[in-house]
Parts: sequence; structure tokens; C-alpha cells
Amino acid sequence: MRKILTIAAREYRAMVGTKAFLLSVIMMPVLMFGSMLATQMLRKVGETKTLKLVVFDGGNEVFAALQNSAQRHNEFVTNLAGMPTEDDSSIAAGMAGMGRGEFYQLERAAQDVVDDEERLRLSNAIRDGELYGFVELPPGLVDVENPAGVALLYSQDSSIANTRSWLTAELNQIVREKKWSGSFSQNEIERINRASSPVTVSGMGLIEQTIDGQILKATEKNEMADIFLPMGMMMLMFMVIFMSAQPMLESVLEEKSHRIAEVLLGSVSSFQLMLGKLIGTVSGSLTIFAIYTVGIMVVANDRGWVANVPTEILPWFVVFQVFGVLFYASIFMAVGASVSQLKEAQSMLLPVWMLLMMPMFVWLLILHEPLGKLAVWTSLFPPSASTTMVLRMATGQPIPLWEILLSLLLLIMATLMIITLASRIFRVGILWQGKVPKLSEIFRWAIRG
Amino acid sequence: MDAAIRLQQVTKRFGKQVAVNKLDVNVPFGSIYGFIGPNGSGKTTTLRMILRIFQPDSGDVFVLGQRQGAVADNRLGYLPEERGLYKRMKVRDILAYYARLKGHYQCRRDIEDWLERLGAAEWANKRIEALSKGMAQKIQFISAVVARPKLLILDEPFSGLDPVNMESLRDAVIQLRQQGVTIIFSTHDMEMAEKMCDTIFMIFNGNKVLDGTLDAIQAKYPADRVRVQFASIDQPLPKLDGIQDVGNVGRFIEFRMTDPAQSQNYLRQLAELGTIRHFQVIKPSLHDIFVRIAKPSELTAETSTP
Repeated sequence: MRKILTIAAREYRAMVGTKAFLLSVIMMPVLMFGSMLATQMLRKVGETKTLKLVVFDGGNEVFAALQNSAQRHNEFVTNLAGMPTEDDSSIAAGMAGMGRGEFYQLERAAQDVVDDEERLRLSNAIRDGELYGFVELPPGLVDVENPAGVALLYSQDSSIANTRSWLTAELNQIVREKKWSGSFSQNEIERINRASSPVTVSGMGLIEQTIDGQILKATEKNEMADIFLPMGMMMLMFMVIFMSAQPMLESVLEEKSHRIAEVLLGSVSSFQLMLGKLIGTVSGSLTIFAIYTVGIMVVANDRGWVANVPTEILPWFVVFQVFGVLFYASIFMAVGASVSQLKEAQSMLLPVWMLLMMPMFVWLLILHEPLGKLAVWTSLFPPSASTTMVLRMATGQPIPLWEILLSLLLLIMATLMIITLASRIFRVGILWQGKVPKLSEIFRWAIRG
Repeated sequence: MDAAIRLQQVTKRFGKQVAVNKLDVNVPFGSIYGFIGPNGSGKTTTLRMILRIFQPDSGDVFVLGQRQGAVADNRLGYLPEERGLYKRMKVRDILAYYARLKGHYQCRRDIEDWLERLGAAEWANKRIEALSKGMAQKIQFISAVVARPKLLILDEPFSGLDPVNMESLRDAVIQLRQQGVTIIFSTHDMEMAEKMCDTIFMIFNGNKVLDGTLDAIQAKYPADRVRVQFASIDQPLPKLDGIQDVGNVGRFIEFRMTDPAQSQNYLRQLAELGTIRHFQVIKPSLHDIFVRIAKPSELTAETSTP
């Protein structure tokens, strides 16, 4: 036993005590959540740009109104830039990108009709960066009987630009009012506008009761809790498994290619060696978990989100993590023992990666229906059990206890089986030199023992 | 306990291939036992069975009196043929690690002593990847002996060492032997084996082909080699009847006589060609014997020789 712990201690130090580990602990969340953070940060920096648009108003009907809208929009952006943006829900708004950092500068074209030559000239101007885009408004936009329904925006990014959504919304409002103005007075139009003001629906959490019988007030739910928390949990599980299994592959490969295995096996049995390595890796994974949990709590505390962090599922998280790590680390270990170079391992690991990544492809579906069939089956399937289960639990929906226990039981059984098979492959493979064994051969090692 | 290692009718197969065939070996306590044999002859397999990394398919492997075991005895030290060190670990850490794996937990003193003794003390805090090949080999050697083994298995311990380092390592080996450590010494360097080993054992195609002291082995082979040196270094050797294995070994020409009784006859014939500086009938060296056994053309003729 003491030898196993000696091996585990070395494995742990080799995994955790490197600069690469520190770097990946920092880099992984940055890579995964980076785009989200970046959007938010860029918005905070408050860098605004002015987009210059040339407008061809074919019917000479809406330019003046559009100019007014642009003015209002610009003032709104100016005010917003000065305002602190601390509210959580603005994360989502920021992601959706409501064009908050953009000023619009509209310029009416000299003539109202446009030909291809002019379009080419303007396109070149856009390519040269002198202009952001140009808009063609056909005559008859405000025609009540026979309206022209399509305006054209030309720009480098016209299909995804915020400008397009802004234009669509503003033009619709303008055109609608213009159309009404034939039948209604200005007063009536304002009344209609007021009458058609939209209703927003707020998503609320369920009512809870404290131990002393006090009924707590419902809190407004936000995207942070409903989307990012479950997703974050799933990502955390994925990262922990990934960051634990990968070093295992590398350390087995080093032991094999540098013939260290031979020395080690001259002192301990292959099973002791494997067990020690797995214990070391699991300890390493718990360290990663601890680092992130502390990190998350610090951030949550800072932001006042502590109430949103589901501390009650953390113990489950740890249990599912331990077996998830054991499951994948054993596979990586067997693969590392079967090949002699990282390159060869990669092709063999492709299907394993697919298994581990699978929940990433369906997580949104599971998030919408945490109690649905897909959610249940993916969380009972051992390779995806760890990631899916924490995703489901973090939604706050009542997952039946038997499902959790069954999922865990299946995962434990599968892990024990994988460890057994992996130890057989490991025992033969680790001393195997020369050409890479065929897959059929590796299976034979695994089955025959 | 009559021997440090005793192999009795040991056979090991990998699939259909017989790696080691009904091997009998006795390694006496306190001896230096040379293990020789070409690559792929079953040498490593035999060593691994002694280390309990492999279990024999049939036969018994007694190591330090123990008949069975799933793991090598803590009293065994092993130096593998190449590398065997974690690149990123520090010298002192890796030595402590290997010592602990052998159950030797209070190992600081031994580590420092050995580092001092082999002149590697200043490298103690360096990572393995920063070491030269020779220095890494020394560290590898220390890792094999740091846990105070009773039986030491050395596979090519001197490869990559310059003469000075080789000498210090060889002295260390000799000293360990004087302290009563039994040493198995596997090598391709026949001269080294001749100098250092009390007993030599050769395995070829999984079978034992030589086993005994150098004298006993050489006694089985007649003095049938001639070493000649002409005054003119360019003097070629003409075709003579009854000689084979002609080889130019630097300043000398060597050949083997089919009939050793003809040596005077050859001397006369060679003297007619030019001035002879040196003419000597010698016993075949271990190297010669090795080559005779392992050379494909002589395989059938020699493997039957006991």
C-alpha cells in the first residue's frame, strides 16, 4: 500500500506541479468562456464607432424620419456609455449585441435613384473603408394599397450586422406611422402607439419555505442562473476530466518510451502501478475542482450571486467527477500503453473524445427538458453520465433520486470494468516495443487477461 | 539457499514463439555472472522473469530463495539497458522515488553518499533532461543500488560512458561485489565480460549455449586462432588452405585454422611473403566464441556444442 501511495504522490506532483498545469487551469476557462467575457469587456471599455451610411430614398418619403431615429439612437448610446452596466441580465443583452456601441451617421445620396455604376463606386468606397454601407429604399414603402416591402442594405457584414436589425425595427415603425397618418390624426397615432406598447413576461423562481415556516418571496430568475449555471457545471466537469486524463496519457507514454516502466515493474506489480497512477490522477482532479470551486465562489461572492450557486449538488459533483475521471483516465492509460507516440494515440482517442464531448452537442436540448427521455438516457449512459448529470442537477429541476443513484451505479460498474480491461492492456502494452499493435490485438489483451 | 538465482527448466512463450527454452541457470552468491547473447536471443525475457515482470510458462525461478512472487523482491536492484528516468524530475527526487519503491524509505543518507562517490553531488537539484548521457547513466546506476540490493541486475551499465566515468562505475560494481552483492551483468562488450565476470552464461535463440568460467569455456575451444603482424602494413593475406574467419583487426591480421596442428606450416608459408613481426597462436576470445555461435552460417554446427 505504501508503494501505491508513493506512486500516487509522484503522479500527483507530476500532474499538478508544473507550469503547464497552472497555465491550463487558467487557460481552459478563458478558452471556454472567453468569447462571452470578451463581449462583455469590450462593451465595458465602451469603444464606440461611427458607421457612415449613404441612403437612397427612392420615394423621398422616409429619410427625414430615419435621420431622427439615428439621432435618438446616438443619444441613447452616448448615455449608455456613461452609465455603469452592472446588471446581470445585460450579459445576455450584450451577447445578443443590440448595437449599443455603434453611432449611425446617415447621409442622403445626391440623387434618389441608383444605377449599377453608382453601386460599384460605393462598394469600392466601402472596401476602402471610407463608408460603412449604403441603403436603397424603394419608392412606395409607405404605399398603403401596394407597399414595396423590401429595402436593401449593402455592407461588408450586412447579413449579420446590428445595423440591419436596427434599420428593420426603425423602418417598420416609421413606415407604419406614415401609413397610418393617411387615416388618423397625429393624436390618434400616439394613442395607438401607447395602446400597442408591449408587455414583458418575467420568469420567476418557485416559492420556497424556510425551516421556521416563513414563506420566502419569489425571486426573479435570470439567464445567469438558468443557462450559464448548468452549462458552467457541465463545462467544469468536462474540463476536470479532460485535464486529468490528458496528463495520464502523457505520463504513461513517457514511462513506456523511456523504459521507465521496466524499472517500475521491477519494484511493483503492474496493478499497483496502475492503481497508484489512478489515485494520483484523481487527487489531481480534485485539486482542479477545488481551485475552480474556490474561484467561482470568490467571483460569485463579489457579484452577489452566491444564492445562485447550487452548493447542494457539489457533493454529487465530486462523486460523479471521481468516477468520470477514473473511467476516462483508465482508457487514456490503456491507449498510452498501446502506442509509442502521441500521434498514434490521437487517432485511437478520437472515438473516446466523441464520447466525452457528446453531451456538448445535446446540452441545450437537455437544458430545455432536464426530465425528458434524452436527458435520462444520456445520464444513464456511463461515458456521458458525469457531465449530463451535473448539467441536469444544476437546472434545479427535481431529478428523481433513483435516477441519480442508478446513473451512479452504472457509472461505477462501467468504471470497474474499464479499469479491469485497461489493466490487462496496460500490463502487456507498457513493455511492448516496436510496431503499434493492431486494434484486434489490443482487444485480445483486454479479453484474455 | 544454495544459489542467489536458480532457474530450473524454465520456458517462456509469446504466442507460438518460444523465447526461452528449458533454461537451467545457477548463479552463486557473491559472484559476478555475465549474461551474454545476441539481441532477441531471450536475454531480456530471462532478466524479466528474474525480476518477476514475467512469469514463466513452466519451470521454476528461484530468486534469493523465493520460488514465487508477483513482484520483484525489494532486495533486487535493476539497471535497464537504456534510459529509465523521468525527464522532468530532479535527480535527488527520482533517486528517492526509486528507493521508496524498493521499500527503502530512509534513503537520504544513501543518496547523498552515492552522489558524492560518483562525483554527481552538484547535479542533485538538476532535472534529468539537463544531464549528459554519461551523467544520466550514473544516476541510473545509483537508482539501481540506492536501496542496498542483495542482488543487482545490470543491463549494459557502461554504455555511453567515457573511460574515466566507466572506471569509477566499474570500481563501484567491484566494491559492491566485495560487500557480498551478487551481480548479474548483461552486456555486448565481450572484453568487459572477460575481465569482470567470474562466470559467463550465453543464451542463443532461447537456449543456453555457454555456462561456466572463462577458462572452462575456452578449454572447450582449441587454440586455433593465429594473430599475425607483417612488417609492411599493406601486406595482404593470400588464399591459404584450411583457414577461415580472416579478419583485419587494426594492426594485426587474425584467422582461424581448421586444423590447429598446422600452425608451423602456416608460419612458414607466411614468412615467404615478407618479414613477420609477430606470430601467435591464441585461444579464441569470448568475442570469437560469441561470433562463432551467433553467426548464421555456423548456427547448426555450433549450437550442439555444450
